[in-house]
Amino acid sequence: MMHIRLKFTKGNEVKYISHLDLMRVFQRALRRTGIPISYSSGFNPHMEISFGAPLSLGVTSNAEYVDLKLAEPMDVREIQRRLNDSLPDGIRILDGIEIRENHKSAMSVVSHSRYRIRIFMENVSSDELTKKIEEFAAQKEIKIMKEQPKKGFELKEIDIKPLLVSMKLIESKEDIYTIDCLLLSGSSGNLKPGLLIKAFKEFTGYDIQSIRINREQVYGLKNGKLLDLLEYESAEA
Amino acid sequence: MKYDNTREFIYEELLSKVEKPGRYIGTEWNSIHKNPETVDIRFAFCFPDVYEVGMSHLGMKILYHLLNDQQDIFCERVFAPWPDMEEVMRKTGIKLFGLESRDFIDSFDFVGFTLQYEMSYTNIVNMLDLAGIPKRSGERNEGHPFVVAGGPCAYNPEPLYDIVDFFMLGEGEEQLLEVMELYRKWKSSKGTREEFLKMAASVRGVYVPKFYKVDYNEDSTIKSIKPITEDIPGKVRKRVIKNLKGSYFPDKIVVPFIDIVHDRIMLEIFRGCTRGCRFCQAGMIYRPVREREVEELVEIADRLIQSSGYEEISLSSLSTSDFSKLNELVERLVSKYKSSRIGLSLPSLRIDSFSLKLVQEVQKVRKSGLTFAPEAGTQRMRDVINKGVDEEDLLNSVGAAFETGYSSVKLYYMIGLPAETMEDIQGIADLTFKVVDRYYRVPKEKRGKGLNVTASASSFVPKPFTPFQWEPQDTINTLIEKQRYLQKAIKKKQITFNWHEPYVSYMEAVFARGDRRLCDVLIKAWELGCKFDGWDQYFDYEAWMQAFKDTGADPDFYAARRRELDEVLPWDHIDVGVTKKYLRGEYKKSLKGELTRDCRTACTGCGINLLQEGGVCK
Repeated sequence: MMHIRLKFTKGNEVKYISHLDLMRVFQRALRRTGIPISYSSGFNPHMEISFGAPLSLGVTSNAEYVDLKLAEPMDVREIQRRLNDSLPDGIRILDGIEIRENHKSAMSVVSHSRYRIRIFMENVSSDELTKKIEEFAAQKEIKIMKEQPKKGFELKEIDIKPLLVSMKLIESKEDIYTIDCLLLSGSSGNLKPGLLIKAFKEFTGYDIQSIRINREQVYGLKNGKLLDLLEYESAEA
Repeated sequence: MKYDNTREFIYEELLSKVEKPGRYIGTEWNSIHKNPETVDIRFAFCFPDVYEVGMSHLGMKILYHLLNDQQDIFCERVFAPWPDMEEVMRKTGIKLFGLESRDFIDSFDFVGFTLQYEMSYTNIVNMLDLAGIPKRSGERNEGHPFVVAGGPCAYNPEPLYDIVDFFMLGEGEEQLLEVMELYRKWKSSKGTREEFLKMAASVRGVYVPKFYKVDYNEDSTIKSIKPITEDIPGKVRKRVIKNLKGSYFPDKIVVPFIDIVHDRIMLEIFRGCTRGCRFCQAGMIYRPVREREVEELVEIADRLIQSSGYEEISLSSLSTSDFSKLNELVERLVSKYKSSRIGLSLPSLRIDSFSLKLVQEVQKVRKSGLTFAPEAGTQRMRDVINKGVDEEDLLNSVGAAFETGYSSVKLYYMIGLPAETMEDIQGIADLTFKVVDRYYRVPKEKRGKGLNVTASASSFVPKPFTPFQWEPQDTINTLIEKQRYLQKAIKKKQITFNWHEPYVSYMEAVFARGDRRLCDVLIKAWELGCKFDGWDQYFDYEAWMQAFKDTGADPDFYAARRRELDEVLPWDHIDVGVTKKYLRGEYKKSLKGELTRDCRTACTGCGINLLQEGGVCK
């Protein structure tokens, strides 16, 4: 028995694949590789594999995480190599470590996500944009109507201010602006970057024509520090 | 944002605006990507329905890889874009494209449609329109692709005669490559379109509608269907792969990202069926029966599991129980894949005590229920349709299922069968009640909890090349009356009753036995907005009726008319192997309620053994 945590990309080629689809992609890739994955016991055995925080449809990422339980030990580099031969374009295993048996699941420790949002718009200077972002983030509350998928997409007004940790313009080039933001992510509060941009659009009235979002990192909070999910498991308790 | 090319534009701008972008990605595992510059022939394999349906189709999987195994051919998949995708495509001027390259298919060499059901025909017209390809064969010129079609509905090609340049009848594995070979020759000769069609017509199984002329009688029936020149065959014979042993089967299959209807390996164990149910078109047109060998099947399964990573294999055929070495095959597959947790499913199984044991062996996890197809409610009716099952068989099987703990069963029936009376309808209710009673005869501690019997009644659609091809379909009002009767008669808390929209079944009946005059109706219906007719939310009966009115065609002439046995039928120039004489005989026997035995026991003289391949059935 062995527990593994892998860090992988979800590139542009697979950004339209839902979380559920991604799980199936991994299960089938694992089966193709012959990696000795462990199965749950019980009536309906399934692969012991679990993912970190789900990514919105259309968003890419450099830092997704998956936990695997193996029925027998195998070198992590070998797992990485085999999976990379067997995963579709856009999904690349970047790194991996063995983790303790009594680890907390990747899903349960996620508290924050960092995103880079690239927007395309004309007739706005970077100074003006910087100022607008500051004003936007400095509001006491940021009210926005959110669709509730589980309630027939009924709209509900929510305040996303407590979910926004930081937001700043880090690059501007030929009408393409890159915004870096740190958002709450996970069960104790979750803000999707798409909703943030929607609120920003409403606040500014900007005609944002195209948006690309990439997740840069996913963090767990440990001893007051934000650690990525590999560090989280390797750090002392 | 500026995009370097259309490929990127489609991906970034269009796919971000549709509900299920996973349908259009095109880079699924095992999908084939070639450099268009290095191939000579580009083939768009089109399935005229949505991705999830089309990707579940075995024939497409086979032919996709068969074509791509040819170095100089690049075959891509195309499905009917869902209306949300169509809308953004039309708005941005994006034409119908191949999923793999995202190049527009109007520049391809071939645009091939597979015809699986009549209610997909308007999607063909819509797809051609989206592709910017003229809808009528005569309007296409040297710069356009050849529009071809095959599949079960191609056996009555006439309603599409003016849309499709040529049809390929029967099994495609061999004839498709023969046609491609002629195309290579033609292309290098720089011939005319007409010349290629002439060449293609020489391949057995190829039907070029424009080389045939149809004359009509005063009563609108057909007088004759004749080739216009002597070098064109009077009858087009379907193609058959003589022996499945060693016949082509791909080593890999495309594994979709999104969930599709049949998301598993389909292992084709045999083709054809010997049961001879008189309503069943598949049972006639796919003859003769040819099995694959167990050894080869195990090898194919192994390769596909390795290359796909699928977790389930489904044995595919028209009647799984009839596979002569089913037990051996199941045992080998189960023992081989037990440890790797690969599941096996056995659809189209006639459930008897033997097969129930098999099902239990392969299904460690109990599936939701078992399906039985008595098809009709009374013995008289089952004899008319030659469904060789009696009430005792059914109740024994259902009983055995209940005794092993199943508490959910589905029963499939048809209404509107030839010579059906209200007694036969009542029989459906009676039989369903007997199934319920059978459950309560199992001791409480032995049976599963919460009985649920689902009875589905579909409306019978008479099809070409069946003994019922001369029969009228029940009128919509009669079908509704029968449905209402059943609804009342079958009311019981343990029974769920389902039925089909009779309006769709009516249109299906019109097109199944349609002739050339329906082609205008089809195009008219599309102009009036018809598409995705197989989907209840899009089927528009009023628009269809308008299309008939506008074109002066009478739908009842096709659906509700009893044909004379000597009438020239629109598909009489097509030879599926099973003879008209045999079908006539079967029709007459049906009227007397006489049974015809399974032809595995002894030949019943259907004529299939006289096909060129000859002597294939024993």
